[in-house]
Amino acid sequence: MANLPTQQTPYNRPPSPNFRPMQNNDPSQPVQRGPSPYRPHPPVPGGVSPNQRPVTDPRYSNQPLSPFGRPYTPLGPPGLPNPQTRPPPPGVSPSPPLPTGFRPSSNIPHSGVSPAGFPPGIRPSVSPSYRPGQIQQGRPPSYPVQQTTSANYQIMQSNSPPPVESPVSPTGTSPPIGAHKPKRLYPKQINEAYTETSYEQYPTFTPAVTAGITGSQQLQPSIQQQPSQFFTPAGDQNYASTTAAPTQYGQQFSQPQQPSSMAGMTNQFSNMGLGGPSQSQLVPTHLIGIPPNIMDLDAPPPTINLPLNTSVTPSDKANCDPSYKRSTLNTIPATSSLLSKSRLPLGLVITPYRSLKEGDDPVPVVTDTVIARCRRCRTYINPFVTFAEGGQKWKCNMCFLLNEVPQQFDWDIQTNKQADRWKRAELNHAVVEFVAPTEYMVRPPQPPVYLFVIDVSYPAVQSGVVATAARTILESLDRIPNEENRTKIGFITVDTSLHFYSLNSNASVPQMLVVSDIEDVFLPQPDDLLVNLTEARTVVESLLGSLGDMFKDTQTVGNALGSALLAGFKLISPIGGKIVVLQSSLPNINPGSLKARDDPKMLGTPKESSLLQSADPFYKKFAVDCSRSQVCVDMFLLGSQYSDVATLGCCPRYTGGQTYFYPAFNAGRSEDALKFAHEFAEFLASPIALEAVMRVRASKGIRMSAFHGNFFVRQTDLLALPNVSRDHSYTIEVDIEENITTQTVCFQTALLHTTCFGERRIRVLTLALPVTNSISELFASADQVAITTLLANKAVERSLSSKLEDARDALTNKMIDILGVYKSALTSSQSGASPQLQICNNLKLLPLLSLGLLKHVGLRASSQIPTDLRSYAMCLLTTMPSQLLIPYLHPRFYSLHNMSQEAGTYGTEGIIMPRPFNLSSEKLERHGAYLLEDSQNIFIWIGKQVSPQLCMDLLDVRSYEEIRAGKVTLPQLDNVFSQRVNAIIGKTREMRRGVYYPHLYIIKEDGDPSLRLWFLSHIIEDRTDTVMSYPQWLAHLKDKMVEQVSPIGRFYY
Amino acid sequence: MPGEAMLFLFGTIMAAILLFSMTIMFSDLECDYINPIDLCNKLNQFVLPEMMAHAFLTFMLIINGSWFAGAINLVLVAYNVNRVMNNRHMYDATEIFRTIGQHKTECFAKLGFYLISFFYYLYRMIVALIDES
Repeated sequence: MANLPTQQTPYNRPPSPNFRPMQNNDPSQPVQRGPSPYRPHPPVPGGVSPNQRPVTDPRYSNQPLSPFGRPYTPLGPPGLPNPQTRPPPPGVSPSPPLPTGFRPSSNIPHSGVSPAGFPPGIRPSVSPSYRPGQIQQGRPPSYPVQQTTSANYQIMQSNSPPPVESPVSPTGTSPPIGAHKPKRLYPKQINEAYTETSYEQYPTFTPAVTAGITGSQQLQPSIQQQPSQFFTPAGDQNYASTTAAPTQYGQQFSQPQQPSSMAGMTNQFSNMGLGGPSQSQLVPTHLIGIPPNIMDLDAPPPTINLPLNTSVTPSDKANCDPSYKRSTLNTIPATSSLLSKSRLPLGLVITPYRSLKEGDDPVPVVTDTVIARCRRCRTYINPFVTFAEGGQKWKCNMCFLLNEVPQQFDWDIQTNKQADRWKRAELNHAVVEFVAPTEYMVRPPQPPVYLFVIDVSYPAVQSGVVATAARTILESLDRIPNEENRTKIGFITVDTSLHFYSLNSNASVPQMLVVSDIEDVFLPQPDDLLVNLTEARTVVESLLGSLGDMFKDTQTVGNALGSALLAGFKLISPIGGKIVVLQSSLPNINPGSLKARDDPKMLGTPKESSLLQSADPFYKKFAVDCSRSQVCVDMFLLGSQYSDVATLGCCPRYTGGQTYFYPAFNAGRSEDALKFAHEFAEFLASPIALEAVMRVRASKGIRMSAFHGNFFVRQTDLLALPNVSRDHSYTIEVDIEENITTQTVCFQTALLHTTCFGERRIRVLTLALPVTNSISELFASADQVAITTLLANKAVERSLSSKLEDARDALTNKMIDILGVYKSALTSSQSGASPQLQICNNLKLLPLLSLGLLKHVGLRASSQIPTDLRSYAMCLLTTMPSQLLIPYLHPRFYSLHNMSQEAGTYGTEGIIMPRPFNLSSEKLERHGAYLLEDSQNIFIWIGKQVSPQLCMDLLDVRSYEEIRAGKVTLPQLDNVFSQRVNAIIGKTREMRRGVYYPHLYIIKEDGDPSLRLWFLSHIIEDRTDTVMSYPQWLAHLKDKMVEQVSPIGRFYY
Repeated sequence: MPGEAMLFLFGTIMAAILLFSMTIMFSDLECDYINPIDLCNKLNQFVLPEMMAHAFLTFMLIINGSWFAGAINLVLVAYNVNRVMNNRHMYDATEIFRTIGQHKTECFAKLGFYLISFFYYLYRMIVALIDES
């Protein structure tokens, strides 16, 4: 047993003398930087166990200063009040059925610091790839995309006119105020483009601007010839040889220029200038025998190489940020045959209403209600249009129709002066919000409406859901969006009868109205059931204060959710709004009664997918009715038994809501209560968009063919979203119907919505992408993260419409196709077996991510996964933004016992995370402690021979044997190691978008087998019972590929 | 016999009318003239009556001893029954855009089938009329 002590691990030996030095060394780091939040402090008074320490603990009270000596800035989602002024987190004070020890506020010390108290630097570090302006700037260090910048472009740089005359010049954007003359308003060459004069002057400059415009024909050949010199058509034999030596381009043409162009990447000028007719370069990578480099999971998507001057302003935000909208291919194939030949999926991943964290730029708002739209295709004006006739007209970049520029476009209504057109937000930003005039309303903007439908049957009361929920709502009343004091709120509780609450603002106590006729639902009284939150605040508080006790002694077991939903619908359908359902038991009274159809014998068989489908059409039909009346349903399912997530999840699915599932919930366990209270409170506090419709327009020849996500498709391309939930992602498949003849294409998403402060707005996201005829460019610009998101959505749809097995097969075949096409079209060994499996660098993690998807709880072949968990995983897979989805498919895995010295301490960008490991159990040492998180759960795996000192420092127990496995709250101990681990966990819990608050599980190496297996199922590079390991998976793909590719190869020869 | 022939004729024409309106409605949906919820509500009213009318027609044919006509119609009856058993006969507003292609193909196939049987019945009717006179 006494084996493998290694030098660098402080925890590798029992009662470790080595450990102390580390403790002593470690604090020196934060201390050097300033006052540390981990400053040693007097021991906790006896009798108070560490995890019940009050928030006013001296250690935490000196936190208003960050390690940098700056005051903390509030950190929660935008709109949150300052942590100092806002009420304590929900669920803080113990609610009646909760144990006295339950202090959800201990989530504050969880991370060692308050969740709203990280220094400002943390957020940016979380998602470097999601920051605007990084499309061109941030890139993996080894990714030489720009090397191929063609000779054409090089000439352009040297010959380009002085910056003053260029639209990319700073002076072009901001001429001196008061010096406005029409001539100065528009960059010279834009004017010239339309007066058709002096093309010769800027021969290499204008084509990009004028592409597709009459009068530029004489220039077109020169543009199109340039690429063809270096790029042979796809399928040509020369192809392989050129791509096999990809650096040729760079050596021949751009090597001398490369340093300057690399340096220029950080320069916002060159963002536009780097484009031109340049291509992304394929960097082939071998897959077999090399562990995947998982650090690249966070890498930004391949650069979008737009031709020079595609956008009218030089803004670096002119193209859409990938966190709002990303395409699976950052180059669009010109023909549909090229797309189908490449086998790459084409689609968009859109997160229009994503949350803004610290450091994110807010979406600019155009307040003057001057909304310029194309007369024909209704496109909104965007940075990629062109101006004509001296700026009197603009040419739509989708359908190329000339439109009048609105008269007030250059007018500042605030100052009543001529304004600078080039400063308008819609010409500078790809993500912009217009304040909509009355033409965009069918009725005055609705107020936010929250109707809570709470299950008060015996199981719900017993598990403490009612009390916890009531307390959470009570404490979140100030955080519910209510800027204009218009928010309405109402409550229905339901068991075998419906209980309405008359919340008359003049009364001091609510009046309960019981309706036991649930066959034919009616409202017991016309008003006071849905009341203004501000006016009726006292009576609402009084209701919530007593709700927990009201049903304390109930013995009723039935639940009539269907009737409650119908009643709730009657109540709020004249306005629209949100129905929040808190359900703990299976509804068993018609309409909408459900049976516990969960049959373990059916799991793992082809019949399983019938369990994943809706059991009762009532909920789907109800959701469709809701969608028409702008009612959104959110489901919180907290059952201890089978909850039929598949059926109840239909309501959120078609109304833009979300399903939240807490299996085996018991508020008596503080972890459960804390998680639910945290997520529920965040959910209530997050701003929502109301009565929304979303449409994606695209350039001619492109059609949106299929939609995935939570919404209702009202027209062929119109998505109806009664509410837009924060951070919901929508995935749209794209078809190419006609050949694309332009140099760029544009996708514009418009989300018409009412904000929760009563303003009608249109959020417009514009993404412009270059077009190519070459298959190598398609591969070089493919975005593995977006592809995975799209494939996950398609796989879920497939497993619901046919079988899980079909979905897995389709995914495998997709991977075989992609790798096969890459091999046959882009490598020198076109057919037959070769020992290696190649793919381009930017897709090298696609096999790993697809394996993660195959092994994911939503799709894995297994007869052990309960249907509810599967259904819930599928809900998450279809709604998560990429930032959450990728760790959900490929968890992060860190070692704790030998993490680097600075891990878990404050760095310049907040808490430093340890270096993630590959997901392979060969990394698991017996004396180690490991942390694995998939954005929904956090696991700490503890090896059998772990040092007692580590047990002591981390969990406050004397030895491995005393460790309690399962769901725990990690104690806050007075030692550096515990603080560092808590800091890492705290950061893990809050660094991503969404309301999720992951549970923490301790897994012992020889502990509960089901827990262990659950943990090991996340180790996706290993072989799990039925699914292959990563090397096997690659070998499998290669074998299948040979079978499939060789006939084609024979055909070629 | 002419009475029976008239009945066939009536049944066929009725089914054909139903199907024609369906295809027109699908194209309405694609052109945004109708929203999917209304469309499905409208179409679903006709699904079962159409199936029952067709089943009745088949039943009458078999009673009448028109074995060939009965046999080919039985195939369609079996198909309809299968769909009802699997609960796939109703149009689902949430899935309609995804399945509209299938629905249209199916509609056209049925339409073709009814058209052919229409002429077959017409022929049989004339033959029956001639025989009688």
